[in-house]
Amino acid sequence: MKKVFHILMFMVAIIGLSSCDKDDPVIPNEGELITTLIYTLTPHNGGESVVLSFKDMGMGQPEVVTGTLKANTSYSGAIRLLNEIENPAIDISEEVKEEGDEHQFFYLSTIEGLNVNYTDVDEDGLPIGLATQVVTMAAGSGELTIILRHEPAKGAPGVSDGDITNAGGETDIEVTFEVDVE
Amino acid sequence: MLNKFTYLIAFFAFNASYGWAQLCNNSLVGHVVDQHSGDAIAYAAVAVEGTNKGTITEEDGSFVLMQLCNSDKVLHVSCVGYKRAIINLDSFNGGNLHIQLVKAVSTFDEIVVNANYLSEAQQATKKVNSEDISQGANQNLAGLLEAVSGISSLKSGGGVSKPVVHGLYGNRLPILNNGIAQSGQQWGNDHSPEIDPLVANTISVLNGVDALEYQGRSLGSMVLVEPARISALEQLNGQSNIFFESNGRGAGLNLQLQQSAPGLAWKVNGTLKKRGDQHAANYFLTNTGVEEANIAAQLEKKINEQWYIDAYLSSFNTQIGILRGSHIGNITDLEEALKRDVPFYTKENFSYAIDAPRQTVQHHLLKLHAKHLINSRRWVHLTYATQFNNRKEFDVRKGDRSDIPAMSLTQFSHYLKAGYTSLLRNNWRWKAGLQFTFIDNTNQPETGILPLIPDYNSYEIGLYSSFSKKMDYWDFDFGLRYDRQIQNVAAISTTVPREILRYNNLFSSYKLALQAKNYLSEGVYWLTGVNLGTRNPEVNELYSNGLHQGVGGIEEGDSTLKPETGIKVNALINGQWWHKVQLETDLYYQYIDNYIFLNPQDEIRLTIRGAFPVFKYEQTMAHIYGADLNLSYLFSSQLKVKGQYSYLRGHNISDNEPLIYMPSNQLRFSFTYELERMAGLENVTIEGNYQYVFRQNHLQADQDYVLPPDGYGLIGVRMSADKRFKHHRLQAYVKFDNLLNKAYRDYMNRMRYFADDLGRNAVIGLNIYF
Repeated sequence: MKKVFHILMFMVAIIGLSSCDKDDPVIPNEGELITTLIYTLTPHNGGESVVLSFKDMGMGQPEVVTGTLKANTSYSGAIRLLNEIENPAIDISEEVKEEGDEHQFFYLSTIEGLNVNYTDVDEDGLPIGLATQVVTMAAGSGELTIILRHEPAKGAPGVSDGDITNAGGETDIEVTFEVDVE
Repeated sequence: MLNKFTYLIAFFAFNASYGWAQLCNNSLVGHVVDQHSGDAIAYAAVAVEGTNKGTITEEDGSFVLMQLCNSDKVLHVSCVGYKRAIINLDSFNGGNLHIQLVKAVSTFDEIVVNANYLSEAQQATKKVNSEDISQGANQNLAGLLEAVSGISSLKSGGGVSKPVVHGLYGNRLPILNNGIAQSGQQWGNDHSPEIDPLVANTISVLNGVDALEYQGRSLGSMVLVEPARISALEQLNGQSNIFFESNGRGAGLNLQLQQSAPGLAWKVNGTLKKRGDQHAANYFLTNTGVEEANIAAQLEKKINEQWYIDAYLSSFNTQIGILRGSHIGNITDLEEALKRDVPFYTKENFSYAIDAPRQTVQHHLLKLHAKHLINSRRWVHLTYATQFNNRKEFDVRKGDRSDIPAMSLTQFSHYLKAGYTSLLRNNWRWKAGLQFTFIDNTNQPETGILPLIPDYNSYEIGLYSSFSKKMDYWDFDFGLRYDRQIQNVAAISTTVPREILRYNNLFSSYKLALQAKNYLSEGVYWLTGVNLGTRNPEVNELYSNGLHQGVGGIEEGDSTLKPETGIKVNALINGQWWHKVQLETDLYYQYIDNYIFLNPQDEIRLTIRGAFPVFKYEQTMAHIYGADLNLSYLFSSQLKVKGQYSYLRGHNISDNEPLIYMPSNQLRFSFTYELERMAGLENVTIEGNYQYVFRQNHLQADQDYVLPPDGYGLIGVRMSADKRFKHHRLQAYVKFDNLLNKAYRDYMNRMRYFADDLGRNAVIGLNIYF
């Protein structure tokens, strides 16, 4: 019985010695995270650009900046995606462009007469949506929703025209802006 | 009923009388096994006819009889559930006596009616035996347990499932691998227990006092997975198991080898399994393949009459594909997926490829155990065990990151136990023990994603003590345990800049169990028990923080959660009458205060990925109650008909609403036709079964994204036969699950949001015992 007790004490001692506080966790390098979407609309006939932006640092209170478009105007639109958790910020739009065949932006608008057309293509000749042309008609207001899908069915009916119905895939970004057209 | 003590006392009385029995100095060594399965039979009584000499077999079926006289010629070997064997020693010419026992009423399930001390697994009424495991080689642990009434499983597709006992699972239902609480990531509903069931001999559910001596955070019940002891045969023996299944075009191979060489017994058990995409009734479930490679080794050594040591080493390795169409980005994606008949990404063709999303898991266990007999009535168990669990989960990610895990966790654990058993006077037994568990859980930073649960160390020390009293018609059990746990947590903030947050917790938990069992007559008993206990909140319940991709929701822990307190009362009547009718009933009621659950919040959180529902861990008052009924009828010695019904209700009392993810009620019928001999074959069995799972109606429409799926009925067929050769036995089986290829969805399968459940599956298998 004494022998048993000694063995037990020895085992407790081994484990006791290995006990200590949990080490600091290593903070992962969140390279892939997207915190910010900036949609810059530049009028074709000159004038000031309109910048729509959505910044989400993961704390539940995204900063949304919206803008006012002019009626009956044509804009060229450019999307920029940033990871601002990292310092300096990382430009994620480059990565989306490189993997254009696996990504597509969709622009859904409730604004009467506002049209968004793709002006870029991936290696298969299908749109990505980083570059667009936006045309406004009469004055009005509504919502513009920008969605980025990862691995959508880009060849499915309607998808290359910007119809999200048959796209599938996972949503990487979905942001909505209140937009006025004056 | 034979009593172990009568024999022990008889045995020692005989020893004492050695002085005048000089002429009787023969000894006999042997072992007792089940004729059908070859498994060792523990606690069988071996008696010498016409004398008071006798003994009881050890846990490995072995026994030694000493001081036999030349006139001792006939042995009687008996054990509950088996026909008594009478062995004439005249024709025995030395060596190890191999005794096979035949099941008493072979078509009845084993029913334990012995008043003697049985191992916990033998006492359990809810269990799966080795034959069911061999014939269910294509299933995982939870799948095998589903056949037992009152047990269901929570699934995430065909490859991932965890057992649910009386509505409890995950953090509330520890799984004991060879007596050691499985140390892994049990908190995840999409994490399967990392145990190869083919290594096990029995899988049983422990309740009440039986479960008290195991350290594991439970609210009463535990699942015990136990490998068989090494058989006492001196020549090399074993079994091999091979199967093919049509759904997923899978195959598996299991090989077990064992030998009891003088001085050292060993056993090796290896399994290989592979399966590709499974098929629902009408389409392939793309990316649902599974690969598995497991090995286990056992060693047993008797050092001397007082010391026995054994070692167990197991390694479980798997890769599991998760249905591609179930990977979603946000709540809009989920809503779109819900509208589809066929999931996104469904391919026309079958494939063995396992792509993201997938899981790879390794789990290794080493257990060292020593048993020290102080004398024949008192002994000590010493156990050390260490486990390593490595889980990586891969999501569909941008760039080449699909090969980088989105979650990568390693867990190390050490476990120490000292247990003491003493057989006291007047058929009292006292058990007591001390346990210590250390767990180190670490996220690997390779993921590039903030971890959902934080890093932590946990130290837990526990004490238990239990008393049992056996009387002629009554058994009483009483036990208590106390655990003290220190949690040392280091989390990463979700705010920017990232910082390290530290939490130190000190928890105490206790358990108390009482049980009384009364034998009314041969083969009939009733039992009632009360369990009271607490469960400490787990790290995920306290500190989860982030997006849980699989469910498209943000999960937030609550660091102020208090321990749960549960009280469970159950009553059970088991019996058989006139060798015709067998009844097993189990009624239970469990009340849980501070029941921890994920409660959907009114808040919809806006992120750059869209809107997400927020779920918070909250506490409430809840109760779960139900009944399991089993009724069998033997029309003849060949034909048995069996019916099972399970009813369960879980309710949140404070908020007066149903608990989510509670199993649906179920009804099962089966008929079994068994011929002992036919055309040179033995145990020719044909079974037909029908299972009806009711719709989960105890749920409000706003508690889930979709209404619970409709009830469904499935038909299955199984056929098996044995062929005995001189030195080995072959067993072949064919079975069909979901014979009619019915398209259905099950409430307890989380893939029901996206796809139908499995279609028809045909399994053909061969077991060779040699």
